[in-house]
Amino acid sequence: MSRAARVIVEGVSKRYSLSSTRGKLHSLKGALLHGELWRRRQEQGGFLALKDVSFTLETGETLAVIGPNGSGKSTLLKLVAGILKPTSGTVTVRGRLTALIELGAGFHPEISGWDNAIINGMLLGLSRREIEAKLPEIFAFARLENFAHEPVKTYSSGMFVRLGFAVATAVEPDILIVDEVLAVGDELFAHKALDRVAELQRRGCSVLLVTHDLALAEKLAHRGLYLNRGEVVFSGPAPAAVARYRADVASTEAGEAPSTARGKRWGNREVELTSVELVDTEGRPVQVLRSGEPGAIRLAYKVHVPKEDFVFGVAIHRADGTHVFGTNTHLDGLQPESLDGEGSISILFPSLELAPGRYRVDAAVHSVAGLAYDYACEVLEFLITAPVPWPGCYAPRHRWLPAGPKFARLQP
Amino acid sequence: MAEPGSGLFFSLYRKRALVWVLVGRELAARYRGTLFGYLWSLLNPLLLLSVYTVVFTLVIPARVASNAPYPLFLFAGLLPWVFFTGALLDAAVVLPDNGPLLKKVMVEPEVFPAVTVLSHAVHHLLALPVLVVGVAMAAVGLGHPFPWTVVLLPMVLVFWLATVFGLSLGVAALAVHFRDLKDLLHNVFTLWFFLTPIVYTPEAVPAGVLRQLVLANPMTPLVSAYRSLAVEGTFPPPATWAWCALVAGVSLVVGCWVFGRLREGLAEAV
Repeated sequence: MSRAARVIVEGVSKRYSLSSTRGKLHSLKGALLHGELWRRRQEQGGFLALKDVSFTLETGETLAVIGPNGSGKSTLLKLVAGILKPTSGTVTVRGRLTALIELGAGFHPEISGWDNAIINGMLLGLSRREIEAKLPEIFAFARLENFAHEPVKTYSSGMFVRLGFAVATAVEPDILIVDEVLAVGDELFAHKALDRVAELQRRGCSVLLVTHDLALAEKLAHRGLYLNRGEVVFSGPAPAAVARYRADVASTEAGEAPSTARGKRWGNREVELTSVELVDTEGRPVQVLRSGEPGAIRLAYKVHVPKEDFVFGVAIHRADGTHVFGTNTHLDGLQPESLDGEGSISILFPSLELAPGRYRVDAAVHSVAGLAYDYACEVLEFLITAPVPWPGCYAPRHRWLPAGPKFARLQP
Repeated sequence: MAEPGSGLFFSLYRKRALVWVLVGRELAARYRGTLFGYLWSLLNPLLLLSVYTVVFTLVIPARVASNAPYPLFLFAGLLPWVFFTGALLDAAVVLPDNGPLLKKVMVEPEVFPAVTVLSHAVHHLLALPVLVVGVAMAAVGLGHPFPWTVVLLPMVLVFWLATVFGLSLGVAALAVHFRDLKDLLHNVFTLWFFLTPIVYTPEAVPAGVLRQLVLANPMTPLVSAYRSLAVEGTFPPPATWAWCALVAGVSLVVGCWVFGRLREGLAEAV
């Protein structure tokens, strides 16, 4: 795919100086004489919020940044937004960027919502004429038509964030940065907000999303970036990133140290996946299938510590991160009893109705709570062929039934 | 050294529409909910001038070696001084006040001191009609010649604006790191006020160290030039203009340089 990168983050680290250790007079003199006061001092101490983080965000792609509190997510967003400068490394941004970091930041309480919206839009980079043309739409979206000319100090907190959200998304950004603000306002508005983000996604807007709502991250994002203590633990398909994060949380809850693996495979290996294969109806491993043919994914395992709590799962996604399908034995209602020795489990698709293209498979065995025994991300890749290059992911059996239109030749 | 400064002006030029909208907001917010609205900009100086007139003609008849009546002499010194101190004191808090914006939205920090200075400048311009009416009344009532040089006032206002803007940039950036700068400024301004020939003329100061001090004060040429044009009806000598240009130039260069040096760290420090 020939998609242009919108955001390129390369080897970025960010160190915060601790203000208590700052020698004030010394820093004034240093600031004026040597210029780069903060950077120079930062090398000596302070708090390293991000360590050597790299990623790219392509046009139309959504990247979810997940991780526990204090993992550097917000710092990363602010670096991309240009609010903070990296201590080392580079951040390249191509296109108009809007950050939904604090909605309604800069609203002046004494001024009407209407005038504040104009100023906010201009702060976000629109010209006065552009923002004025959008104002009716903005106030309709925020359901504030009747309050447009009241000073915002009379607004409720919900009205405040609704207006902030409406303005920020009305500027039609190329890159949207969202920090935990999609759950703003009431239920109705939260839905509208999500719809609005989805609409921007469809129009090719790249989205960088920070959220603790892992279900939302899986739903909205193509890819996930899992940060912990300022370091990238995992970067890959969103469901896998979420699974990795859940596995680490489960490990911590179970009193184990979270996996230190940095690659695409993690878990405590008490149960090990020895192979993951795509097989045909005869049980022979294949790399290529025709769309609509039957196929199965076979997971072979070896047990090192016998288990009574286990779940096998697979996820299929496109090379660009688009989530196609995912399920596990727990979801499908299989109650685990015991697992020991060696063996295999297959998930059979009587008709693999996938559109032609390359697909990747994540396979996992973990506890019901999400504690990973073995999680292998992108462990298998296969190709689906079809006589027609249908777009998308899903290629169900179908036929046209013309009642009226005449075609030279009917389908066989 | 010129590089951070020119970048600053370029970025302000690009953001000029935003700057003006913010100036408008600043002025609208100031008078919102008041009965007289923008009239306050006229009423405040008018009241001040009336009080001076009563006090310094009836209570303490004051005289200075100037061809303008004392209340107008004082008023013409105070108006730009209030612009100067008001803008600088506001500049000392403008970045912390707009901290949420600096931290959460990508906005060039130089926008805020520029808005502060411009809104004070607009405020100052709104008070000028009172001054003009004052000198006109003195001309009609007391037979003083009307100072036609008042039409040349924009010449000196340019230097005032440059000086105030330069110093505001420096103060705004430094105040982020040194929060007590505002308190310091308050005290400095009290002393500075009496070192500046606002209530007196430089000639009234006994020759010696004190007069040297008053003459060396960078605000002296600015106040003298302003007052010459506004109420005395004389064109300041070239030396005064040169002084004004030097003060304005140095303020701008130093202010831009300080701001440019500290600019990157502002969003983190506020």
